[in-house]
Amino acid sequence: MTSRSAAMHSAEPFSETNDALRVVDLSKSFRSGFLRRRLRGINGVSFTVPRGSLFALLGHNGAGKTTTISCILDLVHPDRGEVNILGAPHGNRSVRARVGFLPERPYFFEHLSGRELLHFYAKLVGVEPRRRNDQVQRLVDKLGIESYVDRRLSKYSKGMLQRIGIAQALLGDPELLILDEPMSGLDPMGRREIRELLLDLKAQGKTIILSSHIVPDVEALADRVAILREGHLVMSRDLADLQTDSRFEVSFGAGDPATADGADELARLLAACKQDGRRIQRIATAKTSLEDLYLEAHGSRPANQKEAE
Amino acid sequence: MGNIGALAYSTFQETVRDRIFYLVGVFGIIMLASTAILSPLTIGAQNKIMIDVGLAGMAVIGLLVILFVGSGMVRKELDKGTILTILSKPVGRREYLAGKFLGLSLTLAMMLLAMAALFLLMLLLAPGAFSYVYLKAFYMTLLELILINAVVVFFSTAVSPILTAVFSLCAFVVGHMSESIRDFGMMRDNVFEQKFFESIYYLTPNLEVFNVRGAMVHGEPVTWTHLGLATLYGVGWSVLLLLLAGAVFQRKELRG
Repeated sequence: MTSRSAAMHSAEPFSETNDALRVVDLSKSFRSGFLRRRLRGINGVSFTVPRGSLFALLGHNGAGKTTTISCILDLVHPDRGEVNILGAPHGNRSVRARVGFLPERPYFFEHLSGRELLHFYAKLVGVEPRRRNDQVQRLVDKLGIESYVDRRLSKYSKGMLQRIGIAQALLGDPELLILDEPMSGLDPMGRREIRELLLDLKAQGKTIILSSHIVPDVEALADRVAILREGHLVMSRDLADLQTDSRFEVSFGAGDPATADGADELARLLAACKQDGRRIQRIATAKTSLEDLYLEAHGSRPANQKEAE
Repeated sequence: MGNIGALAYSTFQETVRDRIFYLVGVFGIIMLASTAILSPLTIGAQNKIMIDVGLAGMAVIGLLVILFVGSGMVRKELDKGTILTILSKPVGRREYLAGKFLGLSLTLAMMLLAMAALFLLMLLLAPGAFSYVYLKAFYMTLLELILINAVVVFFSTAVSPILTAVFSLCAFVVGHMSESIRDFGMMRDNVFEQKFFESIYYLTPNLEVFNVRGAMVHGEPVTWTHLGLATLYGVGWSVLLLLLAGAVFQRKELRG
């Protein structure tokens, strides 16, 4: 894990044309309480997000996901590190028009209607007045919020606010979307709709960064995942690698089964069995799930591996 | 400029729909009470009482709106995360503050307009009381409220809503007493004390500049020169406070 972590800290090669975001050695601490004690938010976080990919920041509550996002968006000032969004430094104002952001637990002006709110944000992102109505209506249709979009926001449920939040993030047709816990507060139906929307946006070529603590959501959506733990980025993997990164379980007639990580280890195990004269009953593949990876990143061995030992 | 306008308009919409204009009704009740209850007690000075209470009532109601709405405005949006979505767009932090300030100032202006209309209507009903000269008093009250609004914006970027309200109220009280505080200092023998009280006078806006109620009640003239200088004074202080607020807010960590 240490070597992986160290690999994360070194800047990955960044290409302005291929990468939507590059974060290098990002650190942030906060002062809290009467004595202004220093609390570590994140420490030495580095990663890159290729254009057109869906990147997930995974971690427990308090792992540093929101702090990382806040630093990327220049809402908090990092103590150290470098952030480059769409080829420009993160403080760059014009680049913010090309980024859509949904905060965790979004709340908006209570006394405006959803439609008024979307028009307000459309003005802020610089959508031309003659195109505002069309663009707002397109998003209203896309997110299926027509039935309540003219109601005041104080009457909205959490799920409705989440949808309005996603709609405002999509105004101005941004290239990069940063969504902090986009599925939180949604019922299973709502989560599925948002999952489909995100996959649709990805298919349109958008780059999406989402933070979540819900492993199955991330596994269903992400191309690449970075796992944060206590402010450190402890693991970063392509999910496609997980599919090929197979583990084998070898069962014998008697006794506990043995496991082998990868084909080479399996070959060695089989050779050892042959030499010892042990009779093999069954060889099964056991793919590494994101949950296994998540547990490993948090210092727990995957459950099926424990059973095997 | 477009961003500031959009922010000001949304702030105006929010505050107006927050039933803030019900306070105009309270003002109407104050005016009626002053006419019905106080005037009979002051034989020969009924109109003076009505004018004094009316002009003071406008200022107090405006002050209450600023303290209750303005002091929590930035913090509320920070706690609820609204500010995060706004500032993640191409909007500068100074623009955000300017928009909030102008939005609440617009609300105050509209409230003052409604109260002024009510006030003038009451004067029309009292024989010999109506005069356009009171428009000057309305304008001075608006200037004072805008300046207090800037004070509130300044404190709200740095401290909690309760402290913002307390500090702003202190600034209002000291602002109306700053000349007395300076004069009190001049009477002290100790040079340090003299300088201390003098510095209070210079470091706080002198809100008595905008107080023309006495002149109005006693029929004394309020010159256009005084109005012009008061405008420069009010706008100058407001701009200074907003610049300071912008500098503080620029460094603020915006954690939802």
